[in-house]
This record gives sequence, structure tokens and C-alpha cells, in this order.
Amino acid sequence: MADIEIEIDGNVVNAKAGEMLITVTDREGISVPRFCYHKKLSIAASCRMCLVDVEGAPKPQPACSTPIADGMKIHTQNEKAKASQKAVMEFLLINHPLDCPICDQGGECELQDVAMDYGSDVSRFTEGKRIVADSDIGALIQTDMTRCIHCTRCVRFGAEVAGIMEMGGTGRGEDLKIEPFLEEGIQSELSGNMIDVCPVGALTSKPFRYELRSWQMNAVSNIARHDLVGSNIYTQTYKGKVKRIVAKDNDSVNETWISDRDRFSYEGLAHENRLLAPQIKVEGTWKEVEWDVALDFATRGLANNVFNARQADKLGALASNTATLEEFHLLQKILREVGSENIDHRLNVKDLNNAISLESNIKLAGLEGVDHALVIGSNLRLEQPMINHRLRKANLSGTSIDVINAMAFDFNYQLNSENIISPNQIAATLAGVLKSVLQSAHAQIPAYLDDVEVTDVAVQLATQLSDSDNSVIILGEHVVNNPQALSIANLISQIAQNTNSTTLNVSASANSTAANLAGFVPGKGGLDANAMLAADLKAYILLDIYPQYDFHNSIQATETLSNDDTFVISLNSFKDDVVAGYSDVLLPIASFYETSGSHVNVEGLVQSFAAAVNAPSDAKPAWKVLKVLADLLELPGFHYADSTQVTSEVMHQSHKQHVHDESIDVKAKRGVNVIWQKSPYAVDVLSRHAASLQATKIGQINSASMNKATAKKLEVTQDGEYLGVPVVVSEAVANNCVFVNANHSTGGQS
Amino acid sequence: MNEVCFKNLDQKDAWSLKTYEANGGYSVWRKILKGEFTPEQIIDELKTSGLRGRGGAGFPTGLKWSFMPRNADMQKYVVCNSDEGEPGTCKDRDILRFNPHSVIEGMAIGGFVMNATKGYNYIRGEFMEPFYRFEGALKEAYDAGLLGENINGSSVSFDLYAHLGAGAYICGEETALLESIEGKKGQPRFKPPFPANIGLFGKPTTINNTESFASVPEILANGGQWFADIGVENSGGCKLFSVSGHVNKPSNFEVPMGTPFKDLLEMAGGVREGRKLKAVIPGGSSTPVLTAEVAMGMTMDYDGIDKAGSMLGAGSVIIMDDSTCMVEALTRLAHFYYDESCGQCTPCREGTGWLYRVLKRIMDGNGKEDDIDLLLGVQDKIMGNTICALGDAAAMPVESFLRNFREEFEYYIEHGKSMVKG
Amino acid sequence: MISNKAKKQIDTWVAKYPEGRQSSAVMEALKIVQAENDNSLTSDTIQAVADYLDMPGIAAAEVATFYENYNHKPVGKHTIRICHNISCMLNGADDLIAHLENKLGVKTGEVTPDGLVNVKKVECLGACVGAPMFQIGDQYYENLTADKIDEIVDGLK
Ligand SMILES: Cc1cc2nc3c(=O)[nH]c(=O)nc-3n(C[C@H](O)[C@H](O)[C@H](O)COP(=O)(O)O)c2cc1C
Ligand code: SF4
Ligand code: FES
Repeated sequence: MADIEIEIDGNVVNAKAGEMLITVTDREGISVPRFCYHKKLSIAASCRMCLVDVEGAPKPQPACSTPIADGMKIHTQNEKAKASQKAVMEFLLINHPLDCPICDQGGECELQDVAMDYGSDVSRFTEGKRIVADSDIGALIQTDMTRCIHCTRCVRFGAEVAGIMEMGGTGRGEDLKIEPFLEEGIQSELSGNMIDVCPVGALTSKPFRYELRSWQMNAVSNIARHDLVGSNIYTQTYKGKVKRIVAKDNDSVNETWISDRDRFSYEGLAHENRLLAPQIKVEGTWKEVEWDVALDFATRGLANNVFNARQADKLGALASNTATLEEFHLLQKILREVGSENIDHRLNVKDLNNAISLESNIKLAGLEGVDHALVIGSNLRLEQPMINHRLRKANLSGTSIDVINAMAFDFNYQLNSENIISPNQIAATLAGVLKSVLQSAHAQIPAYLDDVEVTDVAVQLATQLSDSDNSVIILGEHVVNNPQALSIANLISQIAQNTNSTTLNVSASANSTAANLAGFVPGKGGLDANAMLAADLKAYILLDIYPQYDFHNSIQATETLSNDDTFVISLNSFKDDVVAGYSDVLLPIASFYETSGSHVNVEGLVQSFAAAVNAPSDAKPAWKVLKVLADLLELPGFHYADSTQVTSEVMHQSHKQHVHDESIDVKAKRGVNVIWQKSPYAVDVLSRHAASLQATKIGQINSASMNKATAKKLEVTQDGEYLGVPVVVSEAVANNCVFVNANHSTGGQS
Repeated sequence: MNEVCFKNLDQKDAWSLKTYEANGGYSVWRKILKGEFTPEQIIDELKTSGLRGRGGAGFPTGLKWSFMPRNADMQKYVVCNSDEGEPGTCKDRDILRFNPHSVIEGMAIGGFVMNATKGYNYIRGEFMEPFYRFEGALKEAYDAGLLGENINGSSVSFDLYAHLGAGAYICGEETALLESIEGKKGQPRFKPPFPANIGLFGKPTTINNTESFASVPEILANGGQWFADIGVENSGGCKLFSVSGHVNKPSNFEVPMGTPFKDLLEMAGGVREGRKLKAVIPGGSSTPVLTAEVAMGMTMDYDGIDKAGSMLGAGSVIIMDDSTCMVEALTRLAHFYYDESCGQCTPCREGTGWLYRVLKRIMDGNGKEDDIDLLLGVQDKIMGNTICALGDAAAMPVESFLRNFREEFEYYIEHGKSMVKG
Repeated sequence: MISNKAKKQIDTWVAKYPEGRQSSAVMEALKIVQAENDNSLTSDTIQAVADYLDMPGIAAAEVATFYENYNHKPVGKHTIRICHNISCMLNGADDLIAHLENKLGVKTGEVTPDGLVNVKKVECLGACVGAPMFQIGDQYYENLTADKIDEIVDGLK
């Protein structure tokens, strides 16, 4: 596009031919009012608020949809432009309630803002305002459709970004009504963004309803920690409480959007189950105590159980993946200072010798530029909504996407091929892909591929990857406990190397990248999570762990931790009976948004944040608790004034990568496989306590799905239960696979 | 009279292929198939003919056809607009009923000129008789080997389909019509981009009115100059005028452009028994209304009607005699635009309802002194500010009725009743 | 929900449009399904059409509520669609509407108790030179008078 000169309000401005005028005025800081225009959505040009005067044009032109051309002279403020803008404002207001003081959007309403500048004080419209009946569209979004100004941003958001058209405009003329079609309401995992895009009070946050005015709140920049993206958000607070979360623009991370999980999980902060006071267990009974008493009790327990007997290797530390980078660092540092390498955050992996290790070497924004993607073992849309969104964008501009899954999921884009295969076949299939890739490159075929059969599917998948200039292979959560998880990861590495593909590893969750960066894994001679639980350690420090959700085998874990002679220090943000059962001391810690720290996303981007509010009651940020604990243990090197000092320490320390096991087993296995996955809104303790999220359809996902043949083999029936969850018999699932999507973990039955 | 679109009108089975061919139909198309016509020649002839779009806007057809990127390597479309919904207009219906082959041939020629191998005729959903006639004609044309792929072994291909509307005046607006063919609400698109670049299914598309297409074969058969000579300067050829309302013999008349209005009125049998002409809407409900005096001095061509202060539009002449209450007439028109607004753009969605409600209030005897100013103000705020011309169409009658018949409105507001009907 | 016969009819419309553009046929599909279901649509039938044409339900609902010719409430076996726009109005349409209402004993918008007929006032049907006029089914009736109306309506079964 050529560089051209245009004149806006008498000033010469440089721009590119064909750019929309509003892009130019926005860049130049010239304010042009608008309602339907949204920079991330297609142009509608229907509100007519942005009309400006273009010299030579008989009619005023909408800035949002007028491509500029060299020499154009534009007036955004002259009489003609103002007259049109005022006319539109008057039309918008005739049917819009003028009760801003009781509207939930009051103070942050685009209509109100513009009306201040344009609206005449007295409306000449005396014909009675239109009243629009509201529909209940679900637990997250409150509607007040009488306030709707028909800008269709929510409709376009659904169709273009969320990828499922849920809102629409029914009727015509004055009866045009923006509404969803189905009574089930809005289902999208990104639905809350409609609240952000709605310029008026027609769509507002249901949990936030009637709470406060936007101007009463403080907005604190923050990072959402529920997934591998680390979406940028504002936490809006009032009197020390988080009241609402909205998206913060960051084009390289989350653009303008956030997932519903990121937006609504804050509700859990105020849940009555918060752990509020330190407690110690004296002769089997819990007693609330002061912090110093609890910490003293904790250090004495450690001394008695491990240090006095010089048995530091009988101490273990386990942490949840939602901890901050600093928390991971401090806890591992304590362990290593006292001489223990028993450190791990990989709680849900059944066989850690078979654990996936695969680097991610593509940026999130880069996903939009790939021309082909192969997704393996993931329901991306619900697991990593923003990553899925990037892929969808790529797909809309032509990127082909192949999928290998154990079950057919509801992708919101067109798949090139969807290969539903038993988990037992994945390694063999990928081996076929690798072999095909090598064959067509006339490369040497390693011996382990000798007996591998190259199926048509393998050839097709291989050709796609080889023929693409810029492809990515994405490895997802469902493979974590695959009997050949390690081989699958290694095969992917090989395929990627030989096809010049990038890789993206989304098999772990939340802040696990930070855990790895902080070295929160066993060092030389140390035990991994599974080994610790099998080894009868004498003491544990556990960071925000809830066994029935976090461990792949919660029963065994709970049993081990409950051993009489095991001393367990639990730092938790929420109360939990199981935790109380095995712990000896409970230390209440800050939850999300109550602590400062850092999140490291899947591309390795470290994003630090400050606490938006203080933790409730006696709860303290875990990094501070760990620091004091270290001080009490008289460990050196824990003199931090704030968490940023911890951050820079982590960033300057290098942890040895543990040796990578490159073995590959390509033989298809037999037997039935269970893929156990936490429901999207049960992934962490905060989300689990967010009532509105739990009330959504996604929040209620809880079932074991299997096809008829597998059900027959396992002798389970359609209306029965399997592994404690209701059974769904569906041919969407691959043979020999049970896909469990549950709001708790396995309990060890799998 | 009746030289082009209505050429076969009085003949037996006017709509049949046999009758059409007996009158020289498809001769141009056959020449094209034999390679005896080039696209450039056809565009030149059309330009010479002075044919202007009969759908209302009067854009020169030859020029429009020349805008298509005929060499672009992608599917292109021609679309015929048979949505005919403008109150007062009913000419396309008769073309489809009595001369469907002229539309088919005209579209096929358009397809050849613009290198568009597919066409759709959008027929309003209520026009079932015309639809069946058109479908019948299509079948005849296919059976006769006049349509399809590589027709008669030539390199020319043209497939034509009918699409039915489902009741929405706005689908007559060309981009709403494209949306409607795509199976969506008929909401006009903003322009640019223009259909010639991004039209039906995102592909280059040209849209013409039924009468425009139907005129093309006859023009090319007789030469552009022949057609131009029938009419007057700036308005080539003849045109169908639907004369309705208070006349003795309402009907469609195909007459030369430039015919004096009073002659046309005479053809329609004059104002009905014992009544005096009061007002004329010359081009369909959205064109400004004229007083009898002005109308009687006007000629029926683009410039003539323009000079009189209105527009030729679709050639829909609505005659009102002295028994007509202008407040009632305008209220009815205002209701129409209110009812038919698509609703997407603010001034039209909100403004058409406002206009109608104020007028309704006046009719109900609750008019207020400043209502006339209010109406003038509201129409002015709609005018020019909308996505499509429906906004202007709704505004123009209001302005012209109030300008020409203001005293009737004042009387109604003051007395709470009609000056004419009491 | 959609009979095989209806599906066949829909398929002939789908065939008119380019591949992948089957939703172009939604307008006719809705009419076909409406005709099969007592002349009105429900959210279920709209969804069924949407599913058949592989488009979002709301998109089909937008179409079904935008155009005049779909019904969302029960209607009579015959709908008399009488024009009340300008040319018909000038030729006495309002009196004829009153006559119809009187004769049938129902207002416009209502269905006769026997479920046979309902009257709908509509905008211009493009037959202005035949005003006043109405439409029943596919058929236009022009140059109406009260007597003519009586004859036509009495013939409805
Ligand atoms: C509200 C509105 C309704 C229209 N209705 C019709 C119509 O029924 N038939 C028609 O041919 N053109 C109609 N038009 C004009 C079309 O948009 C378009 O200009 C025309 O079909 C082009 O064909 P032409 O160049 O042959 O006239 C309408 C325009 C507007 C704004
Ligand atoms: S002017 Fe009216 S009909 Fe045209 S786009 Fe706007 S709202 Fe729709
Ligand atoms: S912002 Fe341009 S028309 Fe709405």
C-alpha cells in the first residue's frame, strides 16, 4: 500500500492508501465518535455515528468504512459532520432509557460519553420509548436489551471471534432484536468478551450486577493464571475486594480478549471456604493460632522429623501448578538449602519416567502465521481458549488443521482431517508419519521404524507437514498419561525436525512453565512426586494442593500423606477436609490477585504482576510465608524486601535441564485406556469456587464417554456410572478409550 | 407504444419461446454464440442507446457493464432485480408474465459481455405466477439449447436460476438483494466495496432491473441509435409507466421517453369520473409528490421530471384526485417505510418510526403545533445519513408533501380532522 | 421433523447455488417446512432447517423473522393478504378490509374460529394497476369489489 497524504481538519496526515479513515484518525488521536466499529471485528458501518464530511462527497461518509485516497480532505468537526453526528445521537437516544444512574454501565458507557458531547438536553421525542423483553442468556451475562443500540458488536463477536454464532438480530426495522436463538443461552468459553464489546448497558456482568460504579473502583493490571497464556487483565477492586475483571489489550498475548475462566474465576475469592487463620493440629484436634505459633510449630515439626536425625532427604516439597514463579523458586530453594532434592510439581503424571518433555518454540502471535497445524491430544478450545482463538484466526485465513484425538470434539473451525484413534495407536501412527516423512525425503530410516506400518492417514499427515513452509505441531493434555507419552513427545520432536515444523507443548497447565524455569523438579538423587509418595518421607511442605483434584492417584497420595509419622505443612488458600486430614499445620495463603509474582507462559514470556488486593483476614502471600519459614530455619539468602527481588534472582539462576530420555517405543499397545481430564472450570481451586462459572454448561461437564464396543467390553451401561462419573455412550470416542471429563481427579481408579 | 418489453404483449401465448422467436427473439443471442458480436460492440451499442437503469436510479446500463472486471480470473455473476416492491410499481411483473424470454436473453447477453457464466433472477416471493412463467421459459431455453455450458459448441456458457424472495421491500436494494440470495437477512451492504468488485458470494457482480435486461435484446437487434431516437436527449428509448390510483383505466404503458404527462394520463383514461387532478407521484412512492399544475406541464423523461421537481424513479405514476387527503396518503407511505426499514442503521430504524408516529398522532387528532417542523427536522436528519437509499426514500415524500400541501397538515393539526374528508 | 419429500424439494434449491453455499436455500427451505407444518414455524422447525443446511440456528431464525412471509403463530388454512398501500388505498382498500373483517367476523391478524381463514394487511404487492387487490396462496385477485370478495371468500374450503 502506497504512502499518501490526506488532510484532516486542515492538517496534513500521512497514511496508507486504502486504510479506513477511522484507523487514521485513531492513530492521529483525532476523536471520531463510533458505536458499531470495533478494531478487532468486521466493519458494519451501521450505527452511522462516525459520519464525517469528505470534500467532494455529496453525503457525509462513515469514517469506519471509508477507504482513504490521496489528497482526500476530511472534516470531522465542521457543521456538516457535526449535524450528522448530532442527528444520529438524537435517534439513538429516542429509544434508549435515560436512567444512567441506575444502569450498570453508568460511568463506562460509550453512549453516555458521546451523549455528553452531542445530545441535546431535551428530547423532542414524545412518542414513548421502546421496551424490549429480556432473555436469560445464562449465568455469566446479564441482559437489559431495552438499552441495546443494535451496534451488533456482540453478534459479530460471536460469529467472528468466538466462532459460534449465538447472538443474532431477529426481526427487522424497529423490531430488530439482538438475542440468542436457543433457550440454553450463551455457551461459548469466550462469552464474557461480549460484555466488554457492548458499548452500553445491554450486556453486563451477571456476577457483578448492581455491585458498584466503575469510577468507584481501582483498576490494577494483572495476569490471569488459569492457563498457559497468561492473559492480561485489569482487576477492578473496591475496598480491598476484587469486584470485576476485564480484558487488558496485549496484542502479543491475548489481543483484546480473555476467556470466561479468566474473567469470572475471581468470584471464588470471596467463597466461604477460604482458609483464613493459621492452624496447628495438637493431638488430633485443630487449633487456630497466631502466625508465629504456627510457624514455630512448623519448624519444630521439621526439626523433629527430619533435621534432628539429619534426614533432609526425608523431606519433600510439592506444589500446585498455579503457584507463582517466585513461590516455586523459594520453595525449591528452601529444600535445596536444607539438602533435599525431593521437589516436584508434576502431580498428575502417572509415570514420571514416561513424562513428556517437549519444548515450545513458537510465539503465541506466531500461531496466526502458520500455514498448517497438527494438533495431538487436545480439546484446545476448552483447555487453552486463547491459543485456540489464534489457531481459529489462522484457519479463517487459510491455515489447514489436522487433529489426532481420542474423541471428536466441537472445534469452532474447519478441520482438514480429524483422526479419532485409540490412545494406544497414537505412537504407532506418529511413527508412521515419521517414517513417511523420512521416506519422501529419501533420508535414512532408523531401525526402530523398521516394522512400522505407514498407513494412508500417516502419509496424509506427513505430506501436510512436509509440504508446509511454516507448520506447527501442538501436543495436548490428553497424552500426559498415555502409556507411550514420552515416545509420542520424542516422535513429535523428530517429525518437527525433519519437516521444519515448530512445536507447541500445551500438555501441562497454568504456570507449569514457571515451575520448570524455577527448577521445581527433582535434582540429582532427588525423588519425583510419585517416588516421594511411595517412599515414606518423614515431612512435606505442600503448596496449595488439593489431592482429590491434583494427584492422578489421590487415594494413594492421601494415604501416604496421612501416615502417622509424617509431618505435613500445608500452605493453602482454601479449606479442604482431605488436606485437614493429613496436615499437621495449615498456613492460610493469598490466592490469585492477592499476591505479587510472575507467570511464565508457554512461549516463555515472564509477566510479573502486583497484588491487586490484600489477602483476607490472616492469609498471607505464600512467598512471604516461605521467606519467613526460611528465616526461622536460619537459612541464608532469604533477605528479600519484595517479590521482585525474588524474580530477578530466579531469572539469573540457571537450572540444569535434566537429561532427556530419547527412547522411542512405537509398538501399538492393547487394552482400554482412560484419559482423565479435569473439566475446564475445575482446573484450579479458585475456578472451582466460582459459582457462576460452575453454573454454566461448561462448568457442569462431568462424564465418562466411550463408544458402544468399549462400553460392552467394560460391561458398563448408558445410565450407569464409571469411575464415579455418569457414562455417556458415544461413537465420538475412539475404540478402547474412556474419555473422562470430570470435575475431580481419578481417585486412583484408572 | 409497446415496441420493446411489451412487443409481444397482444400475441397468443406471448410468453412462449415460439412467440418470442417469431418476433425476432434470441437472434442477438444466436449471433453472439456464432461469434458475430464482441462485448465491446455491445457496450458501445448500449451506450449509444441511452438506456438507463429502470430500477430507479437511472444509471446508464452500458457504463455499468463496462465496470465489471471481465478479465478477472474468477466466477462472476449477473443478477436481475425482479423484487419490484416500490409502491406504485408493477411493470416487472408483467414483463415476467408476458415476456420472460426477453429477460433471459438480456441476462445471457449481460453474462457474455461481462464474462459472467452464472446468473440469478431475484423474483419477489409473492410473484408466484411470474415465477412459474419464468421457470417455464427457463426450461424452454435450456431445452432449446440456448443456455448451459458451451452453448451450441461455442465457448460461451451461461446458467441461469431464479431465486425467490420472502417478503421484504428492502431486498430491492441491490446489495440487500445479494445478501438475500446468500440466504441472509436483506440488510444492505455499505459501499465501497461495490458489487462490481465484491458482490454475490464475494465475487464481481452486476445487478440490473428486469426492464433494463428485457430492453437489451431489442436494442441490440435494432441498434443503439434506433432506441435512442425513440426517446429524447438524456433519456433514450421507451419506458414502462405503471399508472395507478384515481384514473379510469389504470395500466402499464410502454411509451417513448419524453411523452407529455397529460398524454399518459389520457391513455389511462383520465382522472376518474367527475374528479379533478390534485397530485401526482411520478416515479414510485419514494419520489417527491407534485401538484397537478406542475405535473400537467411535465414530460415523462429523466430531465423533464427532474425539472418538475421529482424523479422518474421506476416510472410508477400514482394519480391522486381532489378527494385525496394528503395527510392520510403520507401517513400510509410513512407506515410503509417504517414497516420495511431493515433496521440496521440508526437514522432509518429510529427515524422512520418517529415520522410514522407523529403522522399517526396527527391523524388521531392529537397533532401539535410544531409537528410540521418536527417532521421536517426528522426527515432532514435521516436524509443522506443512512447506509442505503431507503432512508432518503422515506424522507423525500415527507418533505414534498409538507412543501406542496402544508395547509392540509396545518388544518388537520388545528382541527383534528381532515380538510378534505371532514 | 423435515419429511423426505420436503428434503427433496429443498435439495433442488440447494443445487442452484455454488458448493458450500447451501444456506442460500434457507428462504425456500423455511417456506417448504412451513407449508408442511400448518403454515407456521417454531424454533424446532427453524433449527431443523438450520441443521439440514448446516448453518447456525440463529442465522436461520434471523431469516425467519426478517421476511414477511413466515408465520410464527398459528394461521388459517388460507391467509388473505390484502394490500393497503397507496394505490390500493386510493381505490378503497380500507373499506374492503372492513368488509372482509365484517364478513368473516374476525379482525386482521385473527383466525376464523373454524381455522379456515385469516386476514393480513400487507404492503404493496406489486399489482398497483389492478388495485385494490389481495393474494391468497399463489394467486393474486385484482380489481376487487365487495361482491367479488364475497364470491372468492365463499369459495374457500
Ligand atoms: C429501498 C430500495 C428499493 C429498491 N427496489 C428496487 C426494485 O424493487 N427493483 C429494482 O430493480 N431496483 C430497486 N432498487 C434499485 C436497485 O438498488 C438498483 O439500483 C437497481 O436494481 C439497479 O438496476 P438498474 O441499473 O437496471 O436500474 C431499489 C433501491 C432501494 C434503495
Ligand atoms: S437505510 Fe434503512 S433499510 Fe437502508 S440499511 Fe439503513 S436501516 Fe436498512
Ligand atoms: S462506527 Fe462507523 S457507522 Fe458505526
